Amino acid sequence: MMGLINGNEGTELRVRFRYLLVAVLVAMTVLGVRLWYLQIIKGEEFRERSESNSLRFRKLRAFRGLIMDARRQVLADNHPAFDLVYVPNRVVDIRKVVDKLEELYEKRGLKIDRDLLPSGKTRPFIPVCIERNIGPEKIAVVEAHALDLPGFVVEVNPVRRYVEGEVMAHLIGYTGEISQEELAQEDMEDFTAGDTVGKAGIEKYLDGYIGGRTGIEQVEVNVVGRVVKSLGRIDPVAGHNVQLTIRADLQKTAWDALGGRAGAVVAMDPRDGSILAMVSSPSFDPNMFNKGISRNDWKNLSRNPLCPLENRAVSGLYPPGSTYKVVVAAAALGEGIIDGETRFFCNGSLTLGDHSYRCWQRHGHGWCRLHRAVVESCDVFFYNLGKLLDVDRLAWYAKQFGLGSTTGIDLPREKPGLIPTKAWKQARLKQNWRMGDSIPVSIGQGYNLVTPLQLAVAYSALANGGVVWRPRIIDRIESLEGKVIKTFPPEKRGVLPLDASQLGLIRRALWGVVNESGGTGRAASKPDGEVAGKTGTSQVVSMPRDGVRVKTLARREDHALFVCFAPYRAPEITVAVIVEHGGHGGSAAAPVAKKVIDAFMGDKKVAREASRER
Amino acid sequence: MRRYGLPLANIDWTFLVLVLLISAIGVLNIYSTGFSVAGGKTSTLYVKQIQSFLIGFIAMILTFSFDYRRICTYAYVIYCLSVALLVIVSLYGYTTHGSQRWIIVAGFSFQPSELMKLSLILALARYFNDHRSVWPYSTKEIIPPALLVAVPFFLILRQPDLGTALILFIVFVSAVLFVGVRWLDLLTAAVGFLIMLPVGWFFLKDYQKERVLTFFNPDRDPFGSGYHIIQSMIAVGSGGLLGKGFLKGTQTQLKFLPEQHTDFIFSAFAEEWGFLGSIFLLILFTLLILWILKIARHSRDYLGTLIAYGFASLIFWGVMINIGMVLGIVPVVGIPLPFFSYGGSAVVVLMMGVGILLNISAKRFILQS
Repeated sequence: MMGLINGNEGTELRVRFRYLLVAVLVAMTVLGVRLWYLQIIKGEEFRERSESNSLRFRKLRAFRGLIMDARRQVLADNHPAFDLVYVPNRVVDIRKVVDKLEELYEKRGLKIDRDLLPSGKTRPFIPVCIERNIGPEKIAVVEAHALDLPGFVVEVNPVRRYVEGEVMAHLIGYTGEISQEELAQEDMEDFTAGDTVGKAGIEKYLDGYIGGRTGIEQVEVNVVGRVVKSLGRIDPVAGHNVQLTIRADLQKTAWDALGGRAGAVVAMDPRDGSILAMVSSPSFDPNMFNKGISRNDWKNLSRNPLCPLENRAVSGLYPPGSTYKVVVAAAALGEGIIDGETRFFCNGSLTLGDHSYRCWQRHGHGWCRLHRAVVESCDVFFYNLGKLLDVDRLAWYAKQFGLGSTTGIDLPREKPGLIPTKAWKQARLKQNWRMGDSIPVSIGQGYNLVTPLQLAVAYSALANGGVVWRPRIIDRIESLEGKVIKTFPPEKRGVLPLDASQLGLIRRALWGVVNESGGTGRAASKPDGEVAGKTGTSQVVSMPRDGVRVKTLARREDHALFVCFAPYRAPEITVAVIVEHGGHGGSAAAPVAKKVIDAFMGDKKVAREASRER
Repeated sequence: MRRYGLPLANIDWTFLVLVLLISAIGVLNIYSTGFSVAGGKTSTLYVKQIQSFLIGFIAMILTFSFDYRRICTYAYVIYCLSVALLVIVSLYGYTTHGSQRWIIVAGFSFQPSELMKLSLILALARYFNDHRSVWPYSTKEIIPPALLVAVPFFLILRQPDLGTALILFIVFVSAVLFVGVRWLDLLTAAVGFLIMLPVGWFFLKDYQKERVLTFFNPDRDPFGSGYHIIQSMIAVGSGGLLGKGFLKGTQTQLKFLPEQHTDFIFSAFAEEWGFLGSIFLLILFTLLILWILKIARHSRDYLGTLIAYGFASLIFWGVMINIGMVLGIVPVVGIPLPFFSYGGSAVVVLMMGVGILLNISAKRFILQS
């Protein structure tokens, strides 16, 4: 052994070096074997994992179609929003993943709403939306701390924007993430969790057209989720645009006129059934749903006893009160029980058996024919009609007006209301029909229930000479380029079973309500005498009666109703108003209708003058 | 006998070539880890690494030009200087990533703990060479060198730098095993060590404890230390037989590998060069270590042997622990891969060591007078 000093040591050391040689070789072999294991034996598996680390599928959200009013003013459109999405590598609890994010947010005074987090565990490579519609401060935090938040990505997605907010909320509806129940439904195969669907109103009704089609892209991403390369893409298809029959200006006028009180306003064109305005109050801001609504907010909305989420125009059920008198009159005329000259005496009440039914006018109206009975809304006159009419025949006439069944409007969740018949009472209450039941029915109280929309349809029939139209909100559906995809032409539903003179009788009476002295609807009169209509006061029942609960709150004031049309000679607009607990129809509801008609007429005048100037 | 001057005739070219080859591959690899796939700027770390090597090369020539025995007369002085630097670091050190390891002087950042490795090897070599007659050593004799280790060990542990402290300790143990200890004493030491383990555990920082626990179950903490191990194994494994190709390692290029230019540098290499490339590099390292052992064996005196052996163990354990960690068979401790990982101070110190080794090798024929 060269270079070493003592022979003895030399041998010792030489042995040691041999050991060392062996030790080094063994150790390196261990590493080599491990490399073999990882790269050769498990190589394929790791290669797959490395690819799934970095390859993923990204949903490309489609733009929902625009919703426009009759004059093509945009009511609902889209604007880009930033969503915080998390793509996990493995199964983890979502709540834990968010802990780090929350910590970083808190340093800047930002909060994350844990309520809105999806619950449970993630599944590998399935993106989970953590927060929708985040602002620039949160984006800054996520981007700055990208390395501490592996798997978090900020995505740009279109989000709905409702221009008019609460004014149009019930009509337009709102969107939200598809729920488990909806996914389970039959024709929902194209949808997956995380897709946006319409949940109410037009958004829901026309979701198939407006929703468009989600696209998909396969991308390569780096560790912070930033897209590095696109490997293939199916473009999203934007939804179709919808043009409604609604006029935004009239809608706003109606909303302002209602002034925040609970109730509804329906304005309709009696010539073809187009709805010009449909207001329901109280309302809500549909933009609240754009971020995903918090549990608290949802609770406040859905449990609010005033039911802001309900569209009172189509689902609010009320006793029609004196507005029903036109139906009773129509029935009496149609059956030949009375004519224009028939008189009844009102001394303030009518006695039947041992019960006395009062007229609202305590002193009575004296001798009345139909015209005056309608103008001054004499109850006793109609009690007499009620006595003479068979309730089932009355019901038949009511149905001809479109009452007691759905109108067929293109909105979800419409209610049919109730027009009582003998059979109904037998089936529902297990009792026979009594004469005492016909009396309140004849003045629109009792078991009768109608929606404001039904009133508008019924009175439109009176206005236009007897045609009962299907009310329509949707005018047409267009593609992005403006090509018409589908139209929704007006539909006749029926014709009133009255001849011209009978119709004329009623119409003149309605004119009198507004324009003659003693008329209950004077509050709606205009100097040119264009408006005709009928007031109504619907009793609020404080106790359940005979097991039938009328939808009311236990308060004292009655509901105020008013239905009218204008201009009298050739009506172009019908307006039905209900102000809950407003008191008398004439004082509370009529002024609301007048404002709408003023706006409508004023706008027409401006248009006429403009075209004259040209 | 000449004391200065470069004994050029006896330069161990094979050794030098091995070192340069490994270093060159390292630079190429660092280039890859800093390469920007998305078309941005490529990181200039590889340039810094080349600069470090140039400085190291000069340092190597310097240490080569001195007789190693002369250097070792100052071994204890060098040792004290290094300890002093460590103290300075703990007082004025520059902290990053939660650890205080660097001093900045005139725009250069410098890691005293790296220098400590070299100093300790020299100091231990000096001690065991001086106390040669009392061999095999009893526990009593081991205490001074143990103290030599203990001081920097705790200073470095405080930084906190578990990896470097561990390496110092392991180098010490290797040295002790090499020089020979009585069996009984070895056993006592081993038992003492095992007793110290729970105490040591207590001193570990939380994240270091986490790392040990996660080693046994990476899925325990898939976003913390478990993440590193998992990503590393994915990168290595996905390299397959032939690798994904230079600059084409998806894990590396997409930055899924954390610390890929330092601790996990081998993962990046394995992903791009596959099994064949990894085995090739492993063979290079093996050759390097065996070559240093050869220098140790052929050294003209015991001192040379000790120094060379110390280096061999430093590099051997560095390779074993780093690659073992990358492959998931060793817990994650921050130990860089010698000549390969990015790190200026490490490179310069290693090259200084190379210079000393070249000197030992060159002087092997010269008999002591």
